[in-house]
Amino acid sequence: MTDAYQPLRKRADGVWAGLHAKPWIRVSTGLQGMAAGAGEVLEALRAELSRQRVDATVSEVGTTGLCYAEPLVDVHVPGTARTLYHNVTPEQVARIVAEHVKAQRPIAEWAHATADGTLEGVPPRGELPMMKGQVRVALRNAGEIDPLSLEQYVARGGFEGLDKALSGMTREQVVQEVRDSGLRGRGGAAFSTGTKWSFLAGNKSPIKYILCNCEEGDPGAFNDKTILETDPFTLVEGCIIAGYATGASNGIVFIRHGHHEPIERTTRAIEACYEAGLLGKNILGTGFSYDMEVSLVGESYVAGEETALMEAVEGKRSMPRFRPPFPAAVGVWGKPSNINNIKTISYVPEIVRQGAKWFAGIGTERSKGTVIACLSGHIKYPGLLEVPCGITMRHLVEVMGGGEPSGKRIKFLQTGGPLGGMLPAAQLDMVLDFDEMSRAGAMFGSGGLIVCNEDTSIVDLTRVLLAFDQMESCGKCFPCRLGTSHLLEILERACDGRSRPTDLDLMDRVGRNMRAGSLCGHGQLGYNPVSSALKAFADEFKAQMSDAGPIPIPPFVGPRSTRRGAQMTGDTPTAQVYPEFVINLQPVTTASQQPTAAG
Amino acid sequence: MPKEIKIKVNGQEIATTDDKMVIQAANDAGIYIPYLCYHPGMKPYGACRMCMVQVEMPPPPNAPAGTAPALVMQASCTVPVRDGLVVHTTNEPVQQTRDVIMDLLLSEHPHGCLTCHRIDLCGPQDICLRHVDVNDRCVTCPKNERCELKDTTRFHTQKQYSALTYQYRNLQVETKDPFFDRDYNLCIVCARCVRACDELRGDVVYGMTERAGQVLVGTALGSSLLESGCEFCGACIDVCPVGALVEKENKWERPSRVMQSVCDECPVGCQITYEVNQWEKVVRAIPELNAPANHGQACYKGKFGYSYVNHKQRIKRPMVRRDGELRQVSWEEAFAAAAEGLAKYKGNQFALIASPRNTNEELYVAQKFARVVMGTNSVDLATNDRPGVYEALADVFGVSAGMVSIDDLNAAKAVLVVSANLTEEQNVVGVPIKQAVRAGTQQLVVIDSREVELTRHATLWLRPYPGTDLAVVGGILRAIVDEGLVSKEFIDARVDGYDDFVKSLAPFTPEAVERETGLGPDRLLAAAKLLATNAPAVFAYALDNSVGGTRRPTARALANLALITGNVGKPGAGLMPLRRGANDQGALDMGAEPFLLPGQAPFNNVAALKRISRAWGAPVPDREGLRVAGAFAAARKGDVKAMLVIGDHLTFEDGTFGDTAAAFDKLEFMVALDQFLSPTAQKADVVFPAAAWLEKQGTYTNLERRVQPLRRVFKNKAVDSRADLDILCALAQRMGADGFAYGDSDDVLAELGMVAPAYAGISHRRLLAEAVKTKKPSNDNPLPTQVLYSDAVPMGLQWPCSAADHPGTPVPFGEGKFTLAVLSWRERPKHDDAQFPLMLTHGRVLLQSGHPMEVVPQGKLNSIKREEYVTLHPADAARMKFAEGQRARMVAATGKSVTGTLRLSEQVPPGVVSLTTLFGELAVELEASTHPDPMNHVPRLEAVPARMEPA
Repeated sequence: MTDAYQPLRKRADGVWAGLHAKPWIRVSTGLQGMAAGAGEVLEALRAELSRQRVDATVSEVGTTGLCYAEPLVDVHVPGTARTLYHNVTPEQVARIVAEHVKAQRPIAEWAHATADGTLEGVPPRGELPMMKGQVRVALRNAGEIDPLSLEQYVARGGFEGLDKALSGMTREQVVQEVRDSGLRGRGGAAFSTGTKWSFLAGNKSPIKYILCNCEEGDPGAFNDKTILETDPFTLVEGCIIAGYATGASNGIVFIRHGHHEPIERTTRAIEACYEAGLLGKNILGTGFSYDMEVSLVGESYVAGEETALMEAVEGKRSMPRFRPPFPAAVGVWGKPSNINNIKTISYVPEIVRQGAKWFAGIGTERSKGTVIACLSGHIKYPGLLEVPCGITMRHLVEVMGGGEPSGKRIKFLQTGGPLGGMLPAAQLDMVLDFDEMSRAGAMFGSGGLIVCNEDTSIVDLTRVLLAFDQMESCGKCFPCRLGTSHLLEILERACDGRSRPTDLDLMDRVGRNMRAGSLCGHGQLGYNPVSSALKAFADEFKAQMSDAGPIPIPPFVGPRSTRRGAQMTGDTPTAQVYPEFVINLQPVTTASQQPTAAG
Repeated sequence: MPKEIKIKVNGQEIATTDDKMVIQAANDAGIYIPYLCYHPGMKPYGACRMCMVQVEMPPPPNAPAGTAPALVMQASCTVPVRDGLVVHTTNEPVQQTRDVIMDLLLSEHPHGCLTCHRIDLCGPQDICLRHVDVNDRCVTCPKNERCELKDTTRFHTQKQYSALTYQYRNLQVETKDPFFDRDYNLCIVCARCVRACDELRGDVVYGMTERAGQVLVGTALGSSLLESGCEFCGACIDVCPVGALVEKENKWERPSRVMQSVCDECPVGCQITYEVNQWEKVVRAIPELNAPANHGQACYKGKFGYSYVNHKQRIKRPMVRRDGELRQVSWEEAFAAAAEGLAKYKGNQFALIASPRNTNEELYVAQKFARVVMGTNSVDLATNDRPGVYEALADVFGVSAGMVSIDDLNAAKAVLVVSANLTEEQNVVGVPIKQAVRAGTQQLVVIDSREVELTRHATLWLRPYPGTDLAVVGGILRAIVDEGLVSKEFIDARVDGYDDFVKSLAPFTPEAVERETGLGPDRLLAAAKLLATNAPAVFAYALDNSVGGTRRPTARALANLALITGNVGKPGAGLMPLRRGANDQGALDMGAEPFLLPGQAPFNNVAALKRISRAWGAPVPDREGLRVAGAFAAARKGDVKAMLVIGDHLTFEDGTFGDTAAAFDKLEFMVALDQFLSPTAQKADVVFPAAAWLEKQGTYTNLERRVQPLRRVFKNKAVDSRADLDILCALAQRMGADGFAYGDSDDVLAELGMVAPAYAGISHRRLLAEAVKTKKPSNDNPLPTQVLYSDAVPMGLQWPCSAADHPGTPVPFGEGKFTLAVLSWRERPKHDDAQFPLMLTHGRVLLQSGHPMEVVPQGKLNSIKREEYVTLHPADAARMKFAEGQRARMVAATGKSVTGTLRLSEQVPPGVVSLTTLFGELAVELEASTHPDPMNHVPRLEAVPARMEPA
């Protein structure tokens, strides 16, 4: 342990003990909580505490992942069970403060779970269907700590990994450790992270960049944002370790403009680390220097593509560059760069702290560790889960996600974001494993899993995905710019019942050309939704596109076509264009945990 | 150095070098790969994907033996070649990929004629009424038959009907900017224009707008080109593969033939391919991509200023003044009148003023005419108003010539530009500088009291009090010496007089220099460090602001700067004098200068006199002649009584030579050779219709000493004109002189070679014979169409070139010793004149941030209206009781006055009032101008006395 880390740890432990000595109320004010009304709840809570003259600590935390239960209020009062109240309304706050905080009597009928199961009739948190079976590594602090508190992060083992790497390991050893852990990139390509680092480590340039990509624009995916919202320090620590291992000089966290909380919290975490001597010159007194900053870009999905991201960081229009040269040789500002997904980097502190063997012990033979899945669509428990590789999709969806809420048949899963594929229900027994999934044509990619029931029209959903892909094409290379436009037009015709006899062939011709000819992944993968949908549901497409009688599909919102000269219809904010993808925030309606009206 | 390697394309082995991309290697070897976004002059981009090929990837090392190599589809414009690379450019998957891309592309480009089944039967003038909408016809596109998309579809045939829906964009054509129109209905979004503007020109006028299917090219927020900072160089037009960007003038004219010549506007010597239509009208100018000086670039003058040659008002027949009026006569009568008139004024009562647009041959004959026929050394160029710029070079190096090749500027690590508005006056010289500065490989130091475009790009901008350039350079020299930054090695080997030079620096103390120039020691030291520690370095200067006879000493000081930093005799290093006329350098070399004989021999050098008079078979006058300024002064006094002015539409209106009209009026006899009946020609007694530069053969010598061939591009059929060379020779013969019977321009060069060894190896014939050959266009290989038409590009020869097998001298002064000039302190002229106590420095820049401006349509064109800002030093303002934001009027000694809002800034030295006008205004002014020739209508930016008064 370095001399500089010791006092930090001591201070953190003190803070942690202090928090537990009096009532500590954590309100989940992440994206999901705020959307469900956590803002009003928080305001009511603060007012109530002061009105009732209660001395309690209130912390804003990120989501626990139980999105269906938001707003979630987590009350810890010394001497009582730590209790999670779900779907809290501002009206409920007064009673919670009066009964639980003041009188130390937890309210069982509003409680969703307790930490240890000591409250009668309320399940322990670990036994909740959605929590049982989760292994939390990257999300270990989600909902547990104040994301802006360095001390709280350190108290839960934060920066131990960095301290260990800096005080006892060479750069090569860190790279080797990550390689041994079997960690693979979580951005979609699933390339070995250790190997990727070794490319950068081998470059002798004095200026090298580690880029962390939180462009995350996929509808249905919210895991990168959540990590930055719930625990930005884990990303910062991972990024510093990556910088040390590869000999990089700068880290850049790249976040899409508009992800307000992630931007704010990451920026403040970086500032806190500078203040604590964890960033900047001579980190922890070891002579290692490293700088980090947050870089923003306007809304552009393609900016998540690694070379387009580098253009964006340089302040240019985010359009992909051609390769070679590859980023490891010529990246941002012409310097060697390494781009990692937020999730990938967030595993690193724990891998270094607990060792490669521990991490490699989780998961399957080829896919090590855990994955973070975002469940949404026609599902009972929408939310965020971190599960070990190797569990079946069926378990994930039907057990942990609670299955289809209205009892209808699940038709397929849409996986891997709008460039991903369709996984028909018949394949739900597939094991969650990068290689297996990509063989099935349903890459795991961004981690978004959208569950669709039998009422969903596959043609219409494909159209919606293509509308996204088309609108998010940067317009640089011809196959992608024009190919997505034409695919969308063909699908629009299909949904309107105006298909032409040649349309199926045309789609195939255009789609295969995009795959072969496009400059970057956006165009190369842009045909995936169509091709994977066609593979599993060819008959439905044929029926929809036949003269005989297309299935009527309700009129859709969103852009009909965005080629110049074609008519545009209305504004296109995500929620309006892709209503299917907005996270389901309906309150829980299970019989045993039916919330009563506010009293 | 690139390495020689071999790659295999379609089974055929081709030799190439390892610095190329596959597309370039294949196309160079004659294997055409279609492309639309790639352009040989620019970096690869990889957008159109038409150049897709299959590349063989060797199996991984652990694969079982006998595994076939994998075929990977890649864009050949972004795949670097490597030894042994195997590429397939025509197999089935490749063809199919291109097929679909083309199909997709045509779904948004009007293509009725491109895919028409009877295209082969269709004559170029046919209007097809049956098949296609008007909008979708190629025949209604201004670029019909000149379009790269046409080449590509012909090479890669498309079916007439596509299953894809076609969408015309229905956008309004942008026609309100000067010089060229933008029709984005035709744009294929290859982004060549965006890249040309950014990568090649450093102007970034365009960007991509919107995204996905909406994506297009445009200016920021759809502003006009004027607002966007366009300098109207036309680079975007030249790279546009379709009809989206097209010149306004002669928009729909089709060329019937093309020919290269050299631009006549400035001394850069841009080679340009001129298009001539079937009615003998020059309709377009396209800078030559492979030319050595300009590499495909030009400026607004060269690109759009050619068309005066077609003008209806050109002088059609010779004229003689009878009864006070100019009357059309026959050539014979005109020659007789001129010969009779001139015969009376031999000796120094005669002066010959030649044009900077005259060819070397004409200038040689002109000076020979003055010396042999008229017996005087009074022969000079009309643009020779600042001889100090070149005289200093002769003082130090023996000859006056630029040492730096334009091509090498890019490689220079530091460039100093002293009082030169080079992005306007020698525009293309600015291109490599801007490129290198933007790439971060060059430090640019600008010494200028005006704000001009380059000051924006400068690493360091020194803004001294006007007229103190000498003190600034002296201060930098002293800083270099004091800091020990001199190149000892070079000084020991190549330099004399170092100690005397150092002694002469004594008065240039930091304090004295600061008092004189307003520049503090830290600024001079910063400049000294940038210039002395970054080698090679170039010192470019025009000395526009130097006054009171300081140009020659300032230029000498700059020569010292080059010598003590060791920047002489190396590529990308040395002095670059910037003059104005196209053939100013040639005029010196030809001896069209009172004090120089052909080959730049001093006129009083006895040996040279002897050699030359032997060659001419006639005595050479030894009496001192008059320079142009002196000739006008003498004419006003009545000492010079006759003149021969080769006008070529020169004007003398900027006042440099005093009242020229009065001088002409005083003359007893005057002969003019001109294309237009200009104010000058109207004064003449005999007027000869002269041929324009595009109508004659000859050579120009540019500012890098490169002799380049001019060719007879066309002949204005309405005009009975003759080349100045022919007129002068005929006149000389008429006056009884021998030695003026030349067959063609090469005969003149042959004679020149005898008296000027530096030109001995140069002939027009050789320049053309040694042109670098490229391929002829054909349907099988449309490549040359796409790299503009040239099938051969003359590289020119940089003198000294002493023999027919001498390769020319790109880098002169590689040996020998040079003596440093001794500096002397010169006080700046004090303007304590009560009437005009300030100095006005007016600059010109493309755009100014913080200047609110508005685009107002005037007639057909837009122009920019904005509030003028007049800037003063706060101390001056306080003394004169002016306040920031107040309305005030600046009145210059020239009579010009400008009213604007007053701004106070310490960036302006005390005693100076600064005013910056927009380039955009100028561009509109030029296009709307009724003057046929823009070159002489770029007002110069010189410091003039001025005063301020409340508005």
